[in-house]
Amino acid sequence: MTDASLDFAGFTPTWCGGCGNWGIGKAVEMALKKQNLTPDKIAMLFDIGCSGNMNDFINAYAMHTLHGRALATAVGVKIANHSLPVLVTGGDGALYGEGGNHFLHACRGNHDLTVIVHDNSVYGLTTGQVSPTAHKGHKSKSTPQGTIDRPVNPLLLALTQGATFIAQGFTAQLPQLAEMIEAGMEHKGLAIINVLQPCVTFNKVNTYAYYLKRIQKLDENYDPTDYHAALKIAHLPMEEKFPLGIIYKTDRPTYQDELPQLEAGPLVHQSPFTNAGELAKGWR
Amino acid sequence: MARKSLLWKTGGLAGQGVMTTGLSMSKLATRSGAYVFDYAEYPSLVQGGHNTYEVLIQDTQPTASAWTLDCLVCLNEDTFNLHQHRLDEKSLLVYDPADFKPEDTVAIPLALPLKELLAELKANTIMVNTIALGASWALLSGNKTILETLITEQFERKGTEVVKQNSACALAGYDYVLKHFQKHMKNFPWKTDAPAQAVLTGNDAFSLGAAAADCKFYAAYPMTPASSVLSTLAAWQPQTEMIVRHAEDEVGVVSEALGASFAGVRSCVGTSGGGFALMTESLSYAGIAEIPLVLFLSQRPGPATGLPTWTEQGDLLFAAHAGHGDFPKIILAPGDQEEMVELTQTAFDLADIYQTPVIVMSDKFLSESHASVSLDSIERIVARVQNRGKNITETPENYLRYQVTDDGISPRLIPGVPGAFYQANSYEHSEDSHTTEDAEDRTNQAEKRARKLATFIENDYEPCAVYGDLEDAEIIFVSWGSTKGPVSMAREMLEMKTSHLHFSNVYPLDEEALKNFFKHDGEYVLVENNMTGQFGQLLRQQTGINIERKILKYDGRAFYPEEIVAAILQQQGEAS
Repeated sequence: MTDASLDFAGFTPTWCGGCGNWGIGKAVEMALKKQNLTPDKIAMLFDIGCSGNMNDFINAYAMHTLHGRALATAVGVKIANHSLPVLVTGGDGALYGEGGNHFLHACRGNHDLTVIVHDNSVYGLTTGQVSPTAHKGHKSKSTPQGTIDRPVNPLLLALTQGATFIAQGFTAQLPQLAEMIEAGMEHKGLAIINVLQPCVTFNKVNTYAYYLKRIQKLDENYDPTDYHAALKIAHLPMEEKFPLGIIYKTDRPTYQDELPQLEAGPLVHQSPFTNAGELAKGWR
Repeated sequence: MARKSLLWKTGGLAGQGVMTTGLSMSKLATRSGAYVFDYAEYPSLVQGGHNTYEVLIQDTQPTASAWTLDCLVCLNEDTFNLHQHRLDEKSLLVYDPADFKPEDTVAIPLALPLKELLAELKANTIMVNTIALGASWALLSGNKTILETLITEQFERKGTEVVKQNSACALAGYDYVLKHFQKHMKNFPWKTDAPAQAVLTGNDAFSLGAAAADCKFYAAYPMTPASSVLSTLAAWQPQTEMIVRHAEDEVGVVSEALGASFAGVRSCVGTSGGGFALMTESLSYAGIAEIPLVLFLSQRPGPATGLPTWTEQGDLLFAAHAGHGDFPKIILAPGDQEEMVELTQTAFDLADIYQTPVIVMSDKFLSESHASVSLDSIERIVARVQNRGKNITETPENYLRYQVTDDGISPRLIPGVPGAFYQANSYEHSEDSHTTEDAEDRTNQAEKRARKLATFIENDYEPCAVYGDLEDAEIIFVSWGSTKGPVSMAREMLEMKTSHLHFSNVYPLDEEALKNFFKHDGEYVLVENNMTGQFGQLLRQQTGINIERKILKYDGRAFYPEEIVAAILQQQGEAS
């Protein structure tokens, strides 16, 4: 649609009152405005879930993809037009569960994307089944006796698989979260921002009170470029301690940087290939 | 028949260089003014197992292989044991007496001391195939200079020493034949002034079509028999500037391609049945979000892992019905290499025009067999101008991504154009692309998408190709995709009036356009490389046309034209 004002605000969100998604939505908008972006200057990829429903609440050139596929789809968008900042939004079920394989490989490739994971340890939109970040023993509709699995540790996973910017935010700490998203977008390479986001309707364990007791600010002297220090910090969630802030940041050429085809500019703006006849001569 | 032809075949252990020797034979023949069709068989193993390669050489373009071998070159005893039933009293049987002695053969045995020559030349064991190539070329009365040139070109990259050794081997084989078997040498009307030809597989043809169509993003996960498209396009990147991605899995592959297509570049994926199965959810997304996408589906026999390196046309019904929900899709099935170059370009145009998935179907037989195509024809085919449909790069007033239109097609703004935004929404959506559950919006959008197929039928649908005279024909063959070639050669062999309807637009099928082709008195015979006559089923489902008489083959091998002839004669016999 066209909109003279090109405002980010779309439809009024349908999230439950008190849902952590409100804070994330606001933080995304703040970060985009801070960078003087407008909806026609970015690409956003929304996964499926309560988080993905942001597709109608924030205006942008966007894809509301299939469940689990927002990140893989974003890889294609960025390769085809690397001049667009690309933001991926999805839940922990989508990004660490259904799309887990894409997550590993996006980290390896260091694609220049910013990924915001709404981590609430449940599947909200399907009314409360257990998700990959839920702690062992978590009782839910799909695990009435408590989940047997250990939780995925997204920070450690991202760190060991090659993401070059890893942060954790809390939806109740809005300014910090907005700054984190902005920093993630400014970072060249794959930025993973795991956001602790209470689901007030279906998760009675990982509540605001639960997190407020367990979040940890990073030490003032903490050096996010120190991989081994980051490994220690990233391990904390296994003890139900949740570090907040930029946990790791390093510079490595992005996937797009390493594609010689993109040196001349975005793929979508390149002139057509017209020399196919020459290729066939190799088959003489 | 006045046609001149030579059928040459070689076989040996995987790793003995059978594939290289075979392709060299195809190139030698085309460089000498002949036309070729070749076909290789190999097991799903890297080493060991039996590999074969046969080349049919003719003075007109062959479109399949043939049955009776003029020359069988055995690099081991298995080759003789497994293929001797295709020899007759005029066939030349080349073997190394150090390996075995053929007993009770109808053919003319020619003892070629491969290992002895190899020892004399102090050459590497692998070069036994080069000696065999030289000897073969002499037995077919080929020109020596053409052989030397090819060997030089082939091994140039590996340095002068390798060129020297291989040339010596090729000439040793060639000269041995001149000295000992001159009277057995086969004649062929070789030409010196023939137009330049390429020798290419169906996969090569798809790759070329994709490059010519300015496909800028190709993603794949290796799967036989589609894998060589990935390696060919990857190798061409410096020239084409295409980005070729070997992604983590087929779900990632198709998702990336949809992302790239959304962002405005022509995008494509390639796979076989199993990988395609993983892509079907995304096919449905492309359908509702109206994202152009070309999918190359090269079939192999299933179900599941099936027979990975063999051939079948067993995925047509799956492809036609792939993806949940109702959405338009188009399936093209080229019948040969030349059609593949052309229809691949058509597929990219159709994907853009109709903003929906277009599947190009092949199978191992077409994907991996080489045929000669003149470079002039290729130049002509690839010179085609692209049609990118209703893509726009300027923002109109009140832009609606999913605007309801008479032809069902809405203008597609390329993302990043200032002054607008929209979503490619996997949910049902209103015209402005927002998610909706409104009944009227749903109906309007579903009908709008469906109208695109009606527009396709009206503007771009090609019913079928007709060969021969339908009025007169006693037998009217019906085929789709790769069975085109064996059927055309079978028709030449049959001493009765036949005609042939070949389908390369296999989905959708239009009753109105097709009924006139099925009103003739001749008997319609469906020829398919699968067990259940899948095209016949699709034809009946879509048009009500039912073909009762069928020739079906599903042992993992392609049809030999002679098998079609035999089936017709047998059926005629049973009927009378």
